[in-house]
Amino acid sequence: MSPRPSTAHLRRPAILTAAAEVISERGVQNTRISDVAERAGTSAPGVLYWFPTKDQLLVEALQFSDDRFYANLTGELEQFATAAEKLGRMVELWPAEGDGETVLWMELWVRALRDPQLAATREGLDRRWRDAIADIIREGQASGEFGPADADDVALLLGAVMDGFAIQLALGDPAVTADTVKRHCLALAESRLR
Amino acid sequence: MSRERILDAAVARIAGDGIDAVRIARIAMDAGVSTALVHYHFATREALLAEALEYSFEHAADTRTVDTGELSSVERLRDMVEQCLPLPGAQERDWVLWVELWLRAVRHPELRPTAANLYARMHIWFVEAIHDGGFDCDADRVADRTLALMDGFGVRALLGDPDMPVERAREEVWAVLEADLGLAPAAHAG
Repeated sequence: MSPRPSTAHLRRPAILTAAAEVISERGVQNTRISDVAERAGTSAPGVLYWFPTKDQLLVEALQFSDDRFYANLTGELEQFATAAEKLGRMVELWPAEGDGETVLWMELWVRALRDPQLAATREGLDRRWRDAIADIIREGQASGEFGPADADDVALLLGAVMDGFAIQLALGDPAVTADTVKRHCLALAESRLR
Repeated sequence: MSRERILDAAVARIAGDGIDAVRIARIAMDAGVSTALVHYHFATREALLAEALEYSFEHAADTRTVDTGELSSVERLRDMVEQCLPLPGAQERDWVLWVELWLRAVRHPELRPTAANLYARMHIWFVEAIHDGGFDCDADRVADRTLALMDGFGVRALLGDPDMPVERAREEVWAVLEADLGLAPAAHAG
């Protein structure tokens, strides 16, 4: 009897993609492991093998879609010559095109309120995003495009204002459009990076 | 009044347990009323959350409107920022409800008007203070940006982010608002 080649590792990305979809549609509370399994084309034990709890599934799904986001980001930003344009694209990519993603963040915030482990996960993901913004700022400072402000401080400010507007976009506030958000964020960046 | 007692209990329980996990029976017990009465007043969790938020917003509004006449326009705006921070106690509890509302309103469109209404009132509150102060700026724009910053920094402070203690949230929001209002950074000392 020859051992069957294991394909379990191939299922992990499929499970995480399915988890991100199901959780952003229904929320952690109303997500059943069997729903995720069904969408990923596997069984509930197949999901539980990788992710013993729903919170873990949320964290890993966020991490996974984050990884994908950063993998795409590099390619996205390569098309632009200036740091200012790159920053503009980052702002566009965050709240405006990330509706499903915003909901996952909100799930994480709510659960992090009562779970220090999840709060730590959120901090890590947040730091990664701020570092990505700060890298672009430093690039612009090196090329003489931007002034000498502290790149990490400006990144913190931009990260916060983007989240604030992402919330209003996700809530469907008619007074807030992706376009006005972009203008707000870039005006703020410009005022700090003169 | 039993409705108020229920809402007091609901605010405390939702802040503690979360809207998903909160038990209606527990709220009834805290308020000293029957579960049926809670169900009578609030048919769904969404209705309970919406009412609890409105209620706690109104309560905060009572303290908000007091004594603004004695403050300078800059002091008044600083005080408003202060009242929006997730400071320990009632403001932190209100913040938890606020974060619960975001998620719940995304999933349950019937809560969107509650959220839109609360944001609109915050917006008007800031716009009025900016107008009253005679600051030379686009008040609507400044109010929008201030609220976005408040949410972005506030949620981090609320979650205990070591990079964003509430003191830093206060400084960051004020630094932007101050520049938006056309005040020299040195002018805020008083």
